[in-house]
Amino acid sequence: MNRISFSFARKLPLAYISHLDMLRLFLRALRRSRLPLAFSQGFNPHPRLTLALPLPVGVTASEEYGEIYFTEFIRPEDFIGRLRPQLPEALELIDAYIVRPEAPSLASRIEAALYRAILKNGFEQRLTAESVRDALERLLAREEIIIQRKTKKKKTASTNVRPYIIEAVVKKEAGKPMELNLVLKAGSQGGISPVFLLEQLESDPVCTGISAHDWQLHRESIYVNNDGILQPVSEGM
Amino acid sequence: MMVNWMPIDKDIISDLLSRVQKPARYLGNEWNSCLKDHDRVAVRAVFAFPDLYEVGMSNQGLKILYECVNSRSDLLMERVFAPAADMEDLMRENDLPLFALESQEALKDFDVIGFSLQYELSYTNVLNMLDLAKIPLYSSERSESDPLVIGGGPCTFNPEPLAPFFDFFILGEAEEFLPDLLAELGALKGRCLNRNEILSAISDLESIYVPSLYRPLYRDGVLCGMEKLDSRPSDVIRKRTVKDLDCAPYPTSPIVSYIQTVHDRAVIELFRGCGKGCRFCQAGFIFRPVRSRSRKNILETAEAIIAATGYDEISLSSLSSTDYAQIETLISEMNEVFEESKVKCSLPSLRLDSYSVKLAEQLHQGRRSSLTFAPEAATERLRKVIGKNISEEDIFKALSDAVAAGWQGFKLYFMIGLPTEKDADVEAILTLCRKIRQHFKLKTGRSLKIVVSVSTFIPKPHTPFQWEPQLELSEVVNRQQILRKGFRNMPGFDYSWHEPEASLLEAVFARGDRLLAPLLERAWQLGCRFDGWSEHFSFERWQKAFRDLNIDAGSYAYRRFNYDEYLPWDHIDCGVSKEMFIREHRNALIDESTRRGIS
Repeated sequence: MNRISFSFARKLPLAYISHLDMLRLFLRALRRSRLPLAFSQGFNPHPRLTLALPLPVGVTASEEYGEIYFTEFIRPEDFIGRLRPQLPEALELIDAYIVRPEAPSLASRIEAALYRAILKNGFEQRLTAESVRDALERLLAREEIIIQRKTKKKKTASTNVRPYIIEAVVKKEAGKPMELNLVLKAGSQGGISPVFLLEQLESDPVCTGISAHDWQLHRESIYVNNDGILQPVSEGM
Repeated sequence: MMVNWMPIDKDIISDLLSRVQKPARYLGNEWNSCLKDHDRVAVRAVFAFPDLYEVGMSNQGLKILYECVNSRSDLLMERVFAPAADMEDLMRENDLPLFALESQEALKDFDVIGFSLQYELSYTNVLNMLDLAKIPLYSSERSESDPLVIGGGPCTFNPEPLAPFFDFFILGEAEEFLPDLLAELGALKGRCLNRNEILSAISDLESIYVPSLYRPLYRDGVLCGMEKLDSRPSDVIRKRTVKDLDCAPYPTSPIVSYIQTVHDRAVIELFRGCGKGCRFCQAGFIFRPVRSRSRKNILETAEAIIAATGYDEISLSSLSSTDYAQIETLISEMNEVFEESKVKCSLPSLRLDSYSVKLAEQLHQGRRSSLTFAPEAATERLRKVIGKNISEEDIFKALSDAVAAGWQGFKLYFMIGLPTEKDADVEAILTLCRKIRQHFKLKTGRSLKIVVSVSTFIPKPHTPFQWEPQLELSEVVNRQQILRKGFRNMPGFDYSWHEPEASLLEAVFARGDRLLAPLLERAWQLGCRFDGWSEHFSFERWQKAFRDLNIDAGSYAYRRFNYDEYLPWDHIDCGVSKEMFIREHRNALIDESTRRGIS
């Protein structure tokens, strides 16, 4: 059994599809590529493909990760060469490498992600970087930011997500739109969506009227925990 | 080619996409979609589907015509679907006209807009889409710069309620004809003919119906004939049929949607038409005769589709797939071809007999979840009336076989309001279901999951039941009540029904004439959209529209039409004669009376 991990960028039109749609898209592209997919056992065998850390709808990404199993040895460059022509333009296959079968899944190692929220055209005049910086400070100064989440049994549970915000800074360079850089906890140990943070920001008087979809969200990188240090996945490869 | 009259700000589209639910409905650009340079073709067409993307993308007609038109270098065809309510609001707010998915150009800038008319309850969406496209609703109000608005699909077999909104209709199967017709329209335009001259010029072609060249005649408010306003077209318009499916175009590279559609799989058509002749079923008559695709063609086409799409399932589609002549051989060949790639083959719905269950068994190697059957009526008497000749023994045998083979559930389709139906026939649905449950509880010790879906009979044009009245609303509600109460006490059954008011509207428009066009416009003005979706359907709005125009819904739905009266669709020839329908209708009622005589 051959296990391959791969990275890809996701550009704008494709940001509008869900995680499940994305899985289906990859599976169909893989089938078209005629690569020797390995199937799970059981009544309904399905190809063994996972995509790490679902991306919220509407968010673009520089570096997403997936893992796939094949029945025979496939060189990473052949994987890329055969899959790339089957993918839409907005989905750019970046890299692929072989992973030891016993290695833990990438998904299980994810700790955090860096997002960029870029203010869309037309809102620049209404907000200054200083005022957004103040609003962010006010938000981060809170000890608790409570979020109501639906649990599996149709109940709601409240979670304090303040600890999940690792870093949130405003960036403003001359001639460029304002942007926020957000490092948020993510993965199986808990995390929050950047959309939630933008919604929180909207409730600050300074940002009234600027809603979450007035920012174009982009995931810059995904971090794993490497001996206690947060490190982008790409650096650990 | 044409000047761009209505340039679209693509930044607005991109901004709206970030604000709507399921933005992928409006993206275009899917795998196998086709974007051509507008300046390099002679004629630009849009295939317009008056329902949501997920529904329209499951339509086989779209796939067939899209690929066969786009295979021609002188033509292009793009797509548009009815925008959902949230998108419509944003489009109106931002004054964004309806645009085609591929190029994001305004519909108004195309040469031909072709609507697919699949069901009556999508008619208000047709008007709404024309309005969003800023194309005048009425054919008579369109200018030379507007596209031609044309229609095709099952509803064109009685297009009269829509007649004033369309420049022309194509009746029947268009795949061998549409590319040439589009090219011809371009040529006529190139010769500087105006709209009316173009319409007159094509009006004598087989299967073309230009409604503005016909005027319905009324005597004492009753339709009595059609007067031709031009000498070119024929008195009766004949539907077009493909002679040989193996030679007709069939899509091997259908578009693969980003989001899940209603039928999210590859489709290969085994045969067209149906030899069964159930008396309520319009498809069974308008798609005659039965024409089969060869096994060789099916296998080759199926392989090509899978290679071009990457689907993991292929549906063997037909009105009654298990009736395909060499179905057993075909299934084993399909299994062989797709064994390695683990592509599943599926049958849409099964005939209720052991043979069909055996075939389904051969097909599904995977988990056996549920099988779909359509007994339609629960008593043998009523099944005889509607021409669905299966016995209760057949039903039990088929279900037993399916349970023995490991299926864990069924979906059963019934109808209420069928001609000659009594309360007892409706109660028989409960009795039959109760029997099924007891039978299998005793046999297997486990209870089955059974979904029972009950629709309301709608008298459809070009069927032996076209003269029959629809059951009145209050009575439909009563009979649904019988079922609702009954199923409430039957665990394991999941009962669903159709909104009775929506079925009434469907009957009105199925049997309607041109006098309904203003009603449709009024209902649309009052905000009616997506009438086939219960969350959008508003009977109150429709009632107001009927009142405003002083039209009695009952005179269309509840009236028994006479054999000798002129029907709104009598100028449309579906290939089956009125005499044959009368004979079949009489046979249905004779079956009924002889049975009654015996008992």
